[in-house]
Amino acid sequence: MKEEIFLGNGAIALGLLEAGCQLITSYPGTPSSEILPEIIRLKKLQGLNTYVEWSTNEKVALDNAFAAAITGKRACCCMKQVGLNVAADSLMSAAYLGTKGGFVIISADDPGPHSSQTEQDTRFMARIAKVPVLDPSDPGEAREMAKLAFEISEKFGIPVILRPAIRVCHARQSLKWGELKNNEAKALFEKNPQRWAATPRFRLILHRELNQKLRDIATLFEELSSVNFHDMKEGSQYPLGIICGGVPYAVVRDILSEERRDDIPVLKLGAPYPFPGALADQFMERCRKVLVLEETDTLIEYLLGNRVKVMGRLSGHVPQEGELVPEAIAKTINRALQECGTKPLDVPDTGDVGGLLKDISLPVRKPTLCPGCPHRASFFSIRKGRAKAIFTSDIGCYTLGLNLGSVDTCLDMGAAITMASGFYHAYKQDGVKQPIVATIGDSTFFHSGTAGLLNAVYNGARFVLVILDNQITAMTGMQPTPGLGIKADGSKGVAIPLERVVKGCGIEFLEVVDPYDLKAMSQALKRASAHTFDPAGGIAVVIARHPCVIAYRKKSIPNPVKPLVTDDCVSCGFCMERFECPALFRDEKVGHTMINEVLCSGCAVCVGVCPKGAIVIAGEDK
Amino acid sequence: MNTVNIVLCGLGGQGILFMTKILAEYALKKGIPVLGAETHGMAQRGGSVVSHLRLGEARSSLVPAGKAGFLIALDPWEAYRGLSFLAEGALLCVNSPDGDFPNDAVKTYMTTHGVKCFTADAGKIAGRMGTPLSTNLALLGFFSSLPDISPFSHEGLGETIGLVSPDRFREVNLKVFEAGFEEGKRL
Repeated sequence: MKEEIFLGNGAIALGLLEAGCQLITSYPGTPSSEILPEIIRLKKLQGLNTYVEWSTNEKVALDNAFAAAITGKRACCCMKQVGLNVAADSLMSAAYLGTKGGFVIISADDPGPHSSQTEQDTRFMARIAKVPVLDPSDPGEAREMAKLAFEISEKFGIPVILRPAIRVCHARQSLKWGELKNNEAKALFEKNPQRWAATPRFRLILHRELNQKLRDIATLFEELSSVNFHDMKEGSQYPLGIICGGVPYAVVRDILSEERRDDIPVLKLGAPYPFPGALADQFMERCRKVLVLEETDTLIEYLLGNRVKVMGRLSGHVPQEGELVPEAIAKTINRALQECGTKPLDVPDTGDVGGLLKDISLPVRKPTLCPGCPHRASFFSIRKGRAKAIFTSDIGCYTLGLNLGSVDTCLDMGAAITMASGFYHAYKQDGVKQPIVATIGDSTFFHSGTAGLLNAVYNGARFVLVILDNQITAMTGMQPTPGLGIKADGSKGVAIPLERVVKGCGIEFLEVVDPYDLKAMSQALKRASAHTFDPAGGIAVVIARHPCVIAYRKKSIPNPVKPLVTDDCVSCGFCMERFECPALFRDEKVGHTMINEVLCSGCAVCVGVCPKGAIVIAGEDK
Repeated sequence: MNTVNIVLCGLGGQGILFMTKILAEYALKKGIPVLGAETHGMAQRGGSVVSHLRLGEARSSLVPAGKAGFLIALDPWEAYRGLSFLAEGALLCVNSPDGDFPNDAVKTYMTTHGVKCFTADAGKIAGRMGTPLSTNLALLGFFSSLPDISPFSHEGLGETIGLVSPDRFREVNLKVFEAGFEEGKRL
């Protein structure tokens, strides 16, 4: 047994492979993105035949894994919490159909949120779909729960959700592990159309079966002391007890053991749904008050039969938004202890730090596109040429185009296109010719751009669509896209050129341009815009193609140069506001804008940005 | 042993994750249980990056406020932002290019709380070695020269850097680490 420091997502990968998971699909999304790469690393290390794929979106991932599972194999799909929204249609139905082989859905939550549109709670999705959910507190437990999830799934013939939160996914923990073996189960799909292609009449029967499964699993969860347990001493009564699960459990455990507070019992619910109601009732009976600490919403709180004793989000005791960080939990416990008239925790008071910092104007650190990012060049040209347009955008690094004034909306995956057509029709109805420029990344376009584009073409919308093709899924950690023709494990796949997809969606105007060439990009945008207003025109698509500067440094900037700022600089701030490259800064000593050599990527796009021509390349005449 | 809590902070791209990895691998080699928390995704793009590392018996990955024995900051502004992590008697190690960290109010605060503060221009040290991007290793070298950094040691951290560095960076990483160490010794 060797010991290794695993990322939480690596611990999950380890658990999946230890469980003999044979097929794993995923669409990258923080904080879930590293599960599949970790599977691939371990699979290569151990020579396993596990099938892996980056699917084009989460619904696709779920459907693929579901099919494998109903052949009797063990299968899993991984995604982030908002990805499960995309896959919700499949999930709800898969719950009714059930499974033969183990089928585990991993949906990673992002309390905070650190890198998501919402703080939604996957446990509620499990409740809506009527499937069991497991809620790990740390990487080691996530690994064990991955195995448990397969056991439950196979025993009861039901999909099981594993919900790790970001502090599990992106925690690191030292874990011992040993050899992994291939699972030899063979695919055998037994035809049964009444089940696998059930019509509404049979769905009623399946629903009845599903409800019975849930009752049976609830009985199991009442007794499943590896994940649902408490530490009450026999016969004792307590002024305050805590019910918790997931990451808050780990924090509560740490606080109470550090403070040696064995007078506060804890009920951990690592398997909160279907709800082990009797276990919770027994715990509550022996407490005068009960504090519920869970992320990110109120699943346990809602499911508690009697809330008279309960302090939680519904009673205003627990913050309703944001991550339950250790300080927030300590503060909440202290308030509860105070209301119970019990001795408070002796936690350090760091309140005076806030006062100290009030006098220091700490720089606001907003996320920014990297130096050399081709999206920055695209956004600069878009804003410069089409200042009056509505800029619809999408999910990815390029959402940060909002720093350059080139992103007005960001709703969900694919909405750059669907909102562009929505805006078009809303203005068209009033007879207003509103320019609209939509921006979407290559991976996001493959994920959910095509349906919206087909719809927009079909219904006669008019707008410019810029596909920001950096040939990678960058924000989530550099996963390949279908456009590239490289599969998840690095092997060769079939490349699907964006051009062909765009043409296939019925687009007549298509230009491909390198956004580093500001002039060419501006001219392409001008022609595109003209096409959208031409009576015989339509939607115009510009593919702004330049490789991501992080994923393909050499390919992106083969010959880096050293731009510098001359005394012609009048400190107008245009470059910093409109181009917003992190390497540009105002140097008080020099008295004008300068370039930070350490940060500069050498792309030299800024040379074309300065209205005074004050940015030049060292050694070159102006 | 009591849990050793370490917070590392700075900006995206400064190499916080690599620094964290070195400290974590060091602890693993010493047989100490390791638990930590990292920043990924949107938050990584040029924003503040904080890494938490807990060595010992901790169950949750975040270092609570007021509990960090060590705060290592690659950026002085981020050091200010991380002050609330500091425990009584903690050690603060900051890359301060302008040498103006900390301000007077913070100095007083640190004296009251027994915090020992050490600063170096780690970027300059790395730059002198021809690798301005290795500021993280220069600061770690500087840290390794400071008193009372148990369970860490200069030799042990150097060894770990040798182990975890990719082949083509091993030599330069160690060179920068040693340069940071020498700078600290001179103080």
